[in-house]
Amino acid sequence: MTEETIYQRLKAAGISRRDFLKACGGLAAVMGLQGAPPVAASGLPAHLARGGNPAPLIARALATKPRVPVIWLEFQDCAGCSEALTRSHNPTLVDLVLKEITVEYHETLSAAAGFQVEEAKQAAMKKYAGQYVLVVEGSIPDDGIYCTVGGRSALEILKEAAAGAAAIIATGNCSSFGGLPKANPNPTGARGVWEIIKDKPVVNIAGCPAIPEAFTGTVAHFLVFGALPELDELHRPKAFYGNTVHDRCLRRPFYEAGKFALTFDDEGARKGWCLYKLGCKGPTTYNACAGIKWDGGLSFPIQSGHPCLGCSQPGFWDGGGFYQGQSAPIGRPGIGVAAAAAGIGLVAGAGIAVANQAQKRAGGNT
Amino acid sequence: MNWTSFLAFTRGPLFYAALLIFIAGMVYRLARVVALGWERDRVKSRGSKLAGAIRSYLKGILIWPFIPWVKNTFSRNPLIYVAGGLFHLGLFVVVFLGAAHMLVWKSLLGFGWPTLPLPIVDWLAVVCIAAMIVLFINRLVHPVLKLISGPAEWLNLLFVFLPMISGYILTHHLFFRYEMAYSLHMLAVDWLLIWIPLSRISHFMFYFFARAIHGAQFGKRAVAP
Repeated sequence: MTEETIYQRLKAAGISRRDFLKACGGLAAVMGLQGAPPVAASGLPAHLARGGNPAPLIARALATKPRVPVIWLEFQDCAGCSEALTRSHNPTLVDLVLKEITVEYHETLSAAAGFQVEEAKQAAMKKYAGQYVLVVEGSIPDDGIYCTVGGRSALEILKEAAAGAAAIIATGNCSSFGGLPKANPNPTGARGVWEIIKDKPVVNIAGCPAIPEAFTGTVAHFLVFGALPELDELHRPKAFYGNTVHDRCLRRPFYEAGKFALTFDDEGARKGWCLYKLGCKGPTTYNACAGIKWDGGLSFPIQSGHPCLGCSQPGFWDGGGFYQGQSAPIGRPGIGVAAAAAGIGLVAGAGIAVANQAQKRAGGNT
Repeated sequence: MNWTSFLAFTRGPLFYAALLIFIAGMVYRLARVVALGWERDRVKSRGSKLAGAIRSYLKGILIWPFIPWVKNTFSRNPLIYVAGGLFHLGLFVVVFLGAAHMLVWKSLLGFGWPTLPLPIVDWLAVVCIAAMIVLFINRLVHPVLKLISGPAEWLNLLFVFLPMISGYILTHHLFFRYEMAYSLHMLAVDWLLIWIPLSRISHFMFYFFARAIHGAQFGKRAVAP
């Protein structure tokens, strides 16, 4: 028996052909697809395939491909990425992705609990071996004493699940780069997934939380093309992490003009001037906040008057303070250390001077 | 290692170490200079030392922008005199009145000050870079300067040029990704901090001592040059 395709399921659920195509267009936009990438989806050799409107290609892919099974693991996390995704204000896309990917295991969303749900996970991993997408939320501690599920360590669970995965999506800064648990002094030895799993494709949907559209767009890309999208050097999809927040920021003209808010309640803040001097990390932060925005394109932190924290970058908790200027050094010597350095210089200088004078005296009047 | 973590290294531990080396190095240099000894000046005082020192500082501040022609250096080689002055002016504005740099000072000192708009700082940075190129060419073609220029002189120019040009690239997002340009700028700055105490760029500190001491001597002898 052939498996039901995604379109067949949607049709059965009462979604019209028109709504389906609209959703496909939305997906293409969310994935940042333009003319060229759908060539890969057409299945034709490169010299025959033509780039074109990506929406029909996505429609064809969804109409012919079965659902993607997903196993969602949570380790040292706050479930914020799951929350952001389920409360996303883009229900069509999220429904499409959340319902049409079969979430076989998710600790927060599962109705079942305890040994039952662990058994279901084992069964799913066996049934879909080599096919399922593994989504990881939360960082992974070094050894077994900090984070255990069902009596087993996070590291063990991750390695077991990764072995049968077709691809791994790390959602949120914690599973991408260690996030808050990795903040200095990193008591649990937390790490991101890509530091542990080297033999599977890992894509990092960084952010705190990850932008839901970036997550759904990446899953949709896997759904349509059967492969992960193009990634940057930190394994983030270029479609969402190709530009800095600063590049697309609506307050950018004020940066260029040198008009800055100096406090959160001065004239500049009220006029919507640049937040660079309040510690905005936009220039070094690669994310789609300024483009896609949050809550269905309503706003994003900088628009609402708060500087960017740089939450899609590695080590953003240890970046020297959220409200300290982005150009300021990350670590700076305290007055004691600086005085000690000055003291060393003074002692060395005076010592050599004294030695020189002693030598001069010993050598007579030369 | 990727550029993001390299940036964290150049902004973090490397800057920290460079700053400490800079502080220790400058105090060392100062101690050595002070320990060279003070000749006892037995000449009878004919004027005020303090007035001489103040006069000396005022001359240092006012002559270049307002009455440059009283200096021989200006009348003999105006291009170099102006280029040297503009270089120092540009450097001062960029380092102290640029918004990004003020934030560095603020994080180190605990207080900040108003800054100039980016376009103004930007143009002065261009002036500064252009002045450095003029000074470089002059050093290259001037027969006497060429004779007395050793490796240290060329390296001084290079090590000041690198932070300036990388900073300009960084501000304008040219050629490289931002974090890469930022890393290169920080690398150049960190190296400059280490290099300054070892080189004659330390004149930024000794200049003020020299002005004060010479001014005091002139004041005491009541000879106003």
